[in-house]
Formats: sequence, structure tokens, C-alpha cells
Amino acid sequence: MKANLVRRYMQKELNGWWIISMVGAGIILLPILFVFLELFQAPNENWFQVRDYLLQTYLFNTVTLLILTGLFTAILGVTLAWLTTAYQFPLSKFFRWGLMLPLAIPPYIAAYTYRTMFSYTGVVQTTLRNEFGVQVDPEVISVSSLRGAVFIFTLFLFPYVYLITKAFLENQSSSYIETARLLGRKPFDVFLKIVLPLSRPAVVGGVALVVFEVLSDYGVTSYFGIHTITTAIFQTWFGMYDVDTAMRLAAWLMVILVGLVLVERLLRQRQRYHLSSKSKPLTPIKLRGVKAVAALSYCALVFGLGFAIPLVQLLAWAGLTFEKVWDLSFFTLLKQTISVAAVSSALIIVLAVVVANISRSKNVFSYFLSKIITAGYSIPGAIIAIGVLAVFIELDGKLAPVYASLGCGEAPLILSMSLFMLIVGYTIRFMATGFNAIEVGFEKVGTKYLEAARMLGNGRTRAFFKVDLPLIKGALLSGFILTFVEITKELPLVLLLRPFNFETLATKAFQYAKDEMIHEAAIPSLMIIAISSLSVVLFYFIEKRVKQ
Amino acid sequence: MKVLEVEGLTFSFQRGEEPILSDVSFSIKKGEIVGVLGQSGSGKSTLLRLISGLEIPWGGSISVAGKPVVNQRLFVQPEKRGIGMVFQDYALFPHMNVRDNILFGLNKMSRAERKNRLNEMLELVQMTDFAERFPHELSGGQQQRIALARALAPKPEVLLMDEPFSNLDADLKASIRSELRSILKAAGMTCMMVTHDRKDVEAICDRSFSLSEDSAVRKVHTQSL
Repeated sequence: MKANLVRRYMQKELNGWWIISMVGAGIILLPILFVFLELFQAPNENWFQVRDYLLQTYLFNTVTLLILTGLFTAILGVTLAWLTTAYQFPLSKFFRWGLMLPLAIPPYIAAYTYRTMFSYTGVVQTTLRNEFGVQVDPEVISVSSLRGAVFIFTLFLFPYVYLITKAFLENQSSSYIETARLLGRKPFDVFLKIVLPLSRPAVVGGVALVVFEVLSDYGVTSYFGIHTITTAIFQTWFGMYDVDTAMRLAAWLMVILVGLVLVERLLRQRQRYHLSSKSKPLTPIKLRGVKAVAALSYCALVFGLGFAIPLVQLLAWAGLTFEKVWDLSFFTLLKQTISVAAVSSALIIVLAVVVANISRSKNVFSYFLSKIITAGYSIPGAIIAIGVLAVFIELDGKLAPVYASLGCGEAPLILSMSLFMLIVGYTIRFMATGFNAIEVGFEKVGTKYLEAARMLGNGRTRAFFKVDLPLIKGALLSGFILTFVEITKELPLVLLLRPFNFETLATKAFQYAKDEMIHEAAIPSLMIIAISSLSVVLFYFIEKRVKQ
Repeated sequence: MKVLEVEGLTFSFQRGEEPILSDVSFSIKKGEIVGVLGQSGSGKSTLLRLISGLEIPWGGSISVAGKPVVNQRLFVQPEKRGIGMVFQDYALFPHMNVRDNILFGLNKMSRAERKNRLNEMLELVQMTDFAERFPHELSGGQQQRIALARALAPKPEVLLMDEPFSNLDADLKASIRSELRSILKAAGMTCMMVTHDRKDVEAICDRSFSLSEDSAVRKVHTQSL
């Protein structure tokens, strides 16, 4: 009986869509499994050295960064979300979307911008010295520290918390907040007793994104010379050429990650977003006098530090180096960046569409499939890179006889030296970005048109191309843009997986910065910021359309 | 001749849950219009989804025009069953006009045949002047007629209709009911429609049965009109 039911399920569901999805899931899962398996291998000498002398510092730094950044982004994100949704003050409309903009500046770019601005020859110290005659203790003003890293991460990652909390407050909370107001509670009371507890799931969700970004970071921490597990992975790989130890570190990072995911579940408990279409948006209250000025200054300060100031500084530097950097090789750089991001995004979107399409028939298999396919988002780029590299080296080993028969010499590294490896890495890491956008598109369309098409004698595939595809075009486009932007900004993965001498805007900007050619780094950095702003603009328009 | 035969059909949404349909059996002869009555939640729509192949039954078998489409070992895909369906909210493709909606199910015919069939269908539902309109430019009653034309166009063995009147205004209902019956009879169509409104059945159907509300035993009570 059971076997028969399974057989009929297979007849109903098994088709090319499933097979492609299974292959995709396999490709995504394999590198992650490789990293985990390392935990069960016998470690080598390097590992004992790392464990006995370094691991404690790495762990301490990583955890401190996570806790402090999580705390400060939560404070900044929630207070700003509350101010901009519940109150009206000068420029509040602008800040509502302007406060998303810090997300367009990758933290590693912000890191070297701020460090240079605060250095002895930077704009801050020179102004203090020349205009006011003030000499500052370099220790106090230096950003190159754990403190500085927390400052950078907080300023440039808080929009994750801000965005999710704002969306929640705008659409879900009006009746509770208005009830509390009518019951005579003061605004601060309402914030403390109603807004904070209610928005906890949203805040936890946002902070989780921030934490994943910090865990994944290599640019800020390595530039500031802070040793974390991620920077250690790079050191054991590039410094000692010891992939095994790097993988073991990655596996430990993965263990922290699983712990964090469990903590997130625990903090959210059974609280979920209650999406009810009935709730009406919160009507903002008009602030006057001192209160309005205070709200305006707070928003302006964060916006200035998180976007305007670094942008102006980068523009100034770009002006100094424009003629030197803006040449033919820069266009090659641009072309390489755009083409590798476009190819990877296209691959991601195709696979995401296939998997999202079969996930529409809700069952246990499609549920797990969608979880596997999106697993890469919460896994730091360095771990994915290590896993992908290990798999590709293994593959090259297996393919050695084939290469030899083709006359490529003894045991060459062909796949693991190719651009293909980087593209696979990107696909694993950013699958979730594309998948989520497309899943939302499919959810909006529903299954009724698909079912109608099938009842008119069309198979799943023709029904998809004729009916579903035209209806989810918008979701496809926004999924593509979002993944394209993420890939353009990405740093650790591309540093580890790029072929020899292959440069993108991100690697070039980082390289300039590492070589203390900060002014030269400005133009590629501005390019990245311009591309990243695309996704912010997209958010703005989607939100506008939803409101209409 | 029996066009649709259902034997001992059983279905529940989740393992271990009380079945929403248990041991349902009935058959429909060629050219008959049969109504299925039942309260909401009695499994009427599920019955349609099982017959059309959008869900898999836990037990029992279904045959269309003498050929089994689902039983203990076999499952035929919905598009291969020769069944037409008018959905409760019509599901007209929003990005296609009336003509393309109707042509959608005719992709296996030759160009000339398709054109003929399209005109035939538009005449049958008296919508010849609306071929270029898009679904959102039509009233509820017009949308329903297009949905009907679209479902009839590929000449299915059986037409299934899910609450065909639930989206219409009360004063429209009466006129559309009699119209629907004459369209179906003119096309010689075998039809099964589910509804919660006894008046629908009385106006359109040759006979009807109801899915009993007692979930333990879902016996079929047949009644001739």
C-alpha cells in the first residue's frame, strides 16, 4: 500500500525539474559536507599549534565582535526604525529610505576610508592640528582596533535590522500601538512596553543577518589586523598552504554557526510575523521644537557617518587619482567584474527558478530541497571557498588520467585553476538571494494558473514557459539584480577562489588598500557603491509599488 | 456508456488524519450533467482535484472514458486525462487576451482547425466581439463564459466545474444558470459540477448526489431531478 503510494507520487512528481534540482542540491551540499568531514580526519601538526596558541584569541575576537556588533546594530536599527515610522519630523521621508544607503558601502571599503581619514595625514587629524592646534594621542583616535571594527560593522550593517524592523512596525503594529496610546501611555513607555517586545522576532531576524555578515567578513578584520577564525583560515591557507588546517578551522566556524542558528530559534520561540492583510499602516505623529531637532540630528548623524562622509571622502580621493586609474586596464577590470557576476547570477536564477517551481507542490521532499539549496547564505564565504576548493582538487585528482590522455601533462590542476570554481562558489553562497525573490514571485502568482494550464492539456514545462514565466518576470529581474549586487560586493570568496591574476573591482580595491594606495582604491570602490545602490533603489521602488 | 467511473475513492490531507473522503463511488453517463452537493469542507473541491489529477488519492480508482487514470499502481498526469475544468475563480491567464486564453489548450491542432474551434467557441458563449479583450476588462459573468469556452475548446471527455456561480451577483445568477445548461447541452458535454446551492443543481443538472456531512461514512445519496 505504502509502496504503491510512493510509486504513484513518483509518477506524479518525478520529472526533469526534479532531476535538475537534485543535481543542484548535490553541488551545493558536497563542499559543505567536505568541510564537516574534516572534523573526523586525523589533524596534522599545524593544527595542534593553531589550537594551543592561537585558537583562543581567534575565538575571543570573533565572539566579542559578534556580541558587540549585534548589540549596537540592534540599538541603532530599532531606534531609527521606530523614529522614522512613528514620527514625522523634517526630512523624515528622506531618511526612511536614505537610512538603507549605508548597506551600499561594503564594510571593507568603509574600513580603509575611515582608517585613512583618522590617520596622521588624514582629514581629521590634519584639520585638528592645522585649524585648532590640537594634537591627539594616536592610540585614542586610531580606528585600527577591535573597537574600530565594531564601529564600522555597526554603521554599515545596521540597515539589516532597520529594514526588517521598519517593515514590521509599518504594517503589523498599528492597532497595538494605537491602543497603548489611547490607554494613556507615554511615547517612551509605548516604545519600551509594546514596540520592543512586539518587534523581537524582526530584530532577531535582522541581527542574525548582521551576525552572518560579521562572521563572513575578511576585509575589515584583516585590514585592521584583528585575528578571527575567518582571517585564520586565510592565513593557514595562503601563509602555510595548509588546506587541511584551514578546513578544520572552517569546520569549527561552522559549529559556532550552528550554535548561533539554534540561539536564533530560541530567541524567536514561537513568535512569528503575523501577516494579516487587514492591519492598516501606522499613522506617524508630528514632532515639534526640540524633539523634532533631536530626531533630525540623530538620523542625520547616522546617515552622515554611514553614508555621506565616506562617500564625499572617496569622491575627493577619486578626483586626485582619476587620470591615473581610469584607463584601459580599468575597463578590463569592469568587464571582468560584470561578466563573472552576470554569469553567476544567471546560473543562480535558472537553478532557483527550477527549484522554486517544484517547491510549489508542498511536501517533505521539496521542503528539504529548498532548505538545502539556500543553505549557503548563512555560511561564511571562506568556508564555502575551502569546501569548493577541496572538492575541485579532489575532482582534478580523479580526472588526472583523462587530462593525461588529452596531453595536458602529469596531474595538472585544471578545474581548480579555472573561473568555473569561482562561479560555483558564488552560486552556493548567493543561491538564497535569488531563490527567495523568485519564491515570493511564485507565491504571489499562486498555483491556479499552472493548474488551469495543465487541465488544458499542457505538461509542466510548457505550462511554465507559457503561463508562469511571463507572470514572474518582475521577480526574476529583482532576483537577478539582488544577486548581481551581492556578488559584486563580495570579497572573501573571490579572494580565495579566483584564478591567478584574475581581478574584480572588489579584489582590486582591497589590493590597493592593502598596498597603502588608498587614493587609488577610491574609483573601484565608488563603482561598487554605485552598483550596490541599485538594490537600495530597487527596494525603494518595490516598497512604493506595494503601498499603491 | 459510462464516461466517468469512481470506485472506493479515499483521501486525507495528512497521514493519520480522518479522511475527508472515504470510499466514495459513483459513475456518470455520456451527456449527463450531474451536480455534487455538500457543505463547505465536505470534500467537494477535493473530489474534483482528485478526478482531474491535481491530487493523489490514498485509495480507490478513477476511469475516464473506460481508461483507468488512477488506481493502486497507476497515476496519469492531469494533462493526459482528457478532463476540462472551470475553476472557482476562473483562473483566466491575466497576461493573455480572450483569444489566446481559448487557443491555449488547442496547441496540438493545425492552424486552420484552431481558428475554426476558436470561432465556434466564441459563438457558443456569445462573446465573438470580445476576442481582443483582456480578462480584467471583462465583467464577472463574461469571465465565466470565457473560462467555460476555454475549458470546452479542447473537447474534453468530462467537464468539471467548481462552484461556477460563487463569484457572480445574485441577479446575474438566474439568467446565467439557464444559459449554462443550454450551452452544455448544445455542446453535448458530460459535466460534473460541485456547489453548495441546491438551486444551482435544480436549474442545471439532470441528477445530483450529495456528500454526506457525517465524516465517518461518506455515502453517496443519489437523487434524480
